[in-house]
Amino acid sequence: MKYRIKIGRTVFANPVLAASGTFGFGLKFPGVANRIGGIVTKGITVEPREGSPLPRIYEFPGGILNSVGLENPGVRRFRKEILPELRRLKCRVIVNIAGFSIDEFIELVDGLDYKRVDGFELNLSCPNVKNGGVTFGQSPRMVERITKAVRKSTNKTLIVKLTGNFIDPLKTAKAAEQGGADAVCLINTLFGMALDESGRHFLGGRTGGISGPCLKPFALFCVERVASKMTIPVIGCGGIMSGMDAIDFLSAGATMVQVGTASLVNPKASLAVWQALGDWCRRHEVKDWEDIVGRTKRQD
Amino acid sequence: MWIEQPILATHVKPGQFLNIKVSSEPDPLLRRPISVADVTGEKVRLVFRVVGRGTELLSRNRAGDIVDVLGPLGKPAMIFRNRDIIVCGGGVGAAPLLYLTRYLDKCSRVEVFLGARNRSQLILVADFRKLGIKPEIATDDGSMGWHGPVTEPVFRAVQKKKRPIVMACGPKPMLVDLVAKVDPVPVWGFVEQRMGCGVGICYCCGLRRKNGGYIRLCQEGPVVLLNEVEL
Ligand SMILES: Cc1cc2nc3c(=O)[nH]c(=O)nc-3n(C[C@H](O)[C@H](O)[C@H](O)COP(=O)(O)OP(=O)(O)OC[C@H]3O[C@@H](n4cnc5c(N)ncnc54)[C@H](O)[C@@H]3O)c2cc1C
Ligand SMILES: Cc1cc2nc3c(=O)[nH]c(=O)nc-3n(C[C@H](O)[C@H](O)[C@H](O)COP(=O)(O)O)c2cc1C
Ligand code: FES
Repeated sequence: MKYRIKIGRTVFANPVLAASGTFGFGLKFPGVANRIGGIVTKGITVEPREGSPLPRIYEFPGGILNSVGLENPGVRRFRKEILPELRRLKCRVIVNIAGFSIDEFIELVDGLDYKRVDGFELNLSCPNVKNGGVTFGQSPRMVERITKAVRKSTNKTLIVKLTGNFIDPLKTAKAAEQGGADAVCLINTLFGMALDESGRHFLGGRTGGISGPCLKPFALFCVERVASKMTIPVIGCGGIMSGMDAIDFLSAGATMVQVGTASLVNPKASLAVWQALGDWCRRHEVKDWEDIVGRTKRQD
Repeated sequence: MWIEQPILATHVKPGQFLNIKVSSEPDPLLRRPISVADVTGEKVRLVFRVVGRGTELLSRNRAGDIVDVLGPLGKPAMIFRNRDIIVCGGGVGAAPLLYLTRYLDKCSRVEVFLGARNRSQLILVADFRKLGIKPEIATDDGSMGWHGPVTEPVFRAVQKKKRPIVMACGPKPMLVDLVAKVDPVPVWGFVEQRMGCGVGICYCCGLRRKNGGYIRLCQEGPVVLLNEVEL
């Protein structure tokens, strides 16, 4: 079986990616990055960002809440310090970008027009910033405008990362498709918060984003809801901890998957997911990804 | 608790920690960071206090059990040469200082101060003695040694030295008090922070620098110059 998958102009060696913000810039574990489909970098903004006050992570049975608040060195330092290092990686590199206006998105894409950048993932879904992020992702009109503007500025592969927070992802996915995206990624973290004993917000950023195993049923639902009604591929993300979780997302209609929180528990998790997925395909004599992708609906 | 792992034992340096998956189940999900308290031969020693479900599960391990550990993680502590070093531990904070003292004692002049709420909360006193060091004790209730916070005898010791360095581990109030008392003497301290990954990929473990911005504790720490950060 051929495991390769093409999205936009990018050919990925296999359908498993490391999700944004949970694998740094892929440089700590090149042995993992080089054997999966590719990595999505930590979100990059135009200006450097300090990120949210502490603490930034809270654990509960079923998952975690984070409020990192897009801490990142900004696009200029990314270009100077991190991009050259990324040339060491052999895998596909998708840069996750978070603009606070349409102009900023264009500035980011223009500033990252290098061969080593295989594509962009537009972060229209970060719950940990006051403007931009999820507020863009909750408006189909904004999703379409931003996607369209970025599409005009780059030929590179364009993924739009969407949210399930108080908006029908089908509407925003359609908007991304209209805007010229090559794929949509569903879903980013969901709004959440935790309190301490005295009734104060636990997280320094007060509210955060839920991720981990508890996200999977909702993410799976979003993927199924969207995938069958789109002409562009869907990348599934949310609570994928094992190869079987990945198969579920493919069955629900995802063409590729991203592994997030699992990498915090085990930095090799994305590779383990890919290996288990590959083994499963061999055992079940899968000939083509098409046999699995979207099979749930076909069996209804 | 002792972990037998020859490669780990030869590579781990004072100041570093291990990130431990306490259960093979998805809950508790995240690993638990625990500092290395000592190394003997092929064995790594961990000393921890049970404070919640994760450490409770970890404490249930019996001899011969296999644990899932990631490490060594973090930056090794600075091993200063030919200096007067005051080591200050509070409660379970004495643990990582034992391994550190083993190294420091070979190349600097070391004095150790251990504090706790009461006599029964003091740990590893005998282990420090085995290194040939007699730790000065302080307890909040006076049940052993100096009656009061350990930072007071530390302050007196610091005053007697030329260019001393303090290396400390303990509860946050102790560290804050210590830095204020001995100022401007440099205090290198073990800092704790909620962590996601422990390996530098999630940016959850920030520690705020006084002159702005955050450092990742799992990368630049856990031992940092306390005078430069906001605790
Ligand atoms: C670098 C480092 C080294 C450490 N070394 C030791 C040691 O040698 N001995 C020891 O007894 N303790 C040590 N700790 C503290 C230890 O990690 C916590 O006590 C432990 O994580 C608590 O887990 P729990 O499930 O029992 O508690 P819970 O309160 O149920 O844990 C809930 C969540 O909060 C996190 N958490 C709770 N308290 C702390 C804390 N103080 N620091 C960081 N995360 C915390 C847990 O990891 C978990 O994700 C260290 C912490 C760090 C960061
Ligand atoms: C600590 C942390 C940081 C994250 N940072 C980003 C980010 O910078 N950009 C982004 O688009 N998503 C970010 N995410 C969201 C993940 O990429 C992923 O969409 C989400 O966590 C759900 O997947 P999971 O359950 O597998 O983690 C972050 C998630 C976590 C836990
Ligand atoms: S704990 Fe993830 S970066 Fe430090």
